[in-house]
Amino acid sequence: MSAHDHHLDGHLPHEPEKATLEGRNKILGFWLFLGAETVLFGTLFAAFIALRHQVLDGPTADHLFELPMVFAATMILLVSSLASVFAVQALHQHKVKAMIVWLIITILLGLSFLGLEIYEFNTYVSEGHKLTTSAFSSSFYTLVGFHGAHVAFGVLWIGLLIAQIFKKGLTVVTAPKIYVSAIYWHFIDVVWVFIFTVVYLMGKVG
Amino acid sequence: MANDHSAASSDPRRRHRHEGPQKHVVAFVLSLVLTIIAFAAVSAGEINTTFTYIILVGMAVLQVFVQLAFWMHLKDRGHLFATMGIIFGIIVVFTMVIMALYWVWW
Repeated sequence: MSAHDHHLDGHLPHEPEKATLEGRNKILGFWLFLGAETVLFGTLFAAFIALRHQVLDGPTADHLFELPMVFAATMILLVSSLASVFAVQALHQHKVKAMIVWLIITILLGLSFLGLEIYEFNTYVSEGHKLTTSAFSSSFYTLVGFHGAHVAFGVLWIGLLIAQIFKKGLTVVTAPKIYVSAIYWHFIDVVWVFIFTVVYLMGKVG
Repeated sequence: MANDHSAASSDPRRRHRHEGPQKHVVAFVLSLVLTIIAFAAVSAGEINTTFTYIILVGMAVLQVFVQLAFWMHLKDRGHLFATMGIIFGIIVVFTMVIMALYWVWW
């Protein structure tokens, strides 16, 4: 019973997030939740697509959107998604330190994405594109803001998980949480793919 | 030894079939290329609008497929019900988007 016996690598199973029935159920349940989230975002997309040309006397999409900023936000989120996939790889290899480092990188990129989005919304408001300006502006802020809220929640969630890892270490109980939060983070990135396509790029095309 | 989490598994160090990072880096590069194609199609500007739309939707669908399969591990085994859950969500979304596209301003 030396301290070495308790070293994580000797005790954790190969894929600790799937080692228990509870862990597997958590992952399945989370996927069903993501199916519901897909529907939720789908309704917001449908509303936006239906209303995106109804600008009244407010600014149009083509007038507002700056593609370089959208591209920067896209890259930030894409790289953060890569960081979170590396965190899961580190989890599988039981490298707790590396996992935490990748999770922190994920959070930092998520925060910079949020900062960029706040700056972007601020610019739009100063250009007269407010929440109640037109049907286009309302559906735009609801859709993109809802995605931003998901990013903010993800940052908070992963932050709390890191704290829990520090407290309890990597076990078959904590591993599914990390795995599921990574799936959530990829889902946010997947939703963003449709946002930059439907909202920004198609907004530019007309 | 007091730890019962490892009861069923043999030494995890012995038979590691850990995938390397290559697969995920490939998925990243693919996503990157698909994103750049989409932005380039819009920045180029001179292309026919319908054609641009087709490119944009195509790139988005491809990228989402890449990310679902590789980063979210949907192609791994044991993900049948998870796949069904997400596909059901996608069917509902399709229905609503088609409604928004064709029915709202009829």
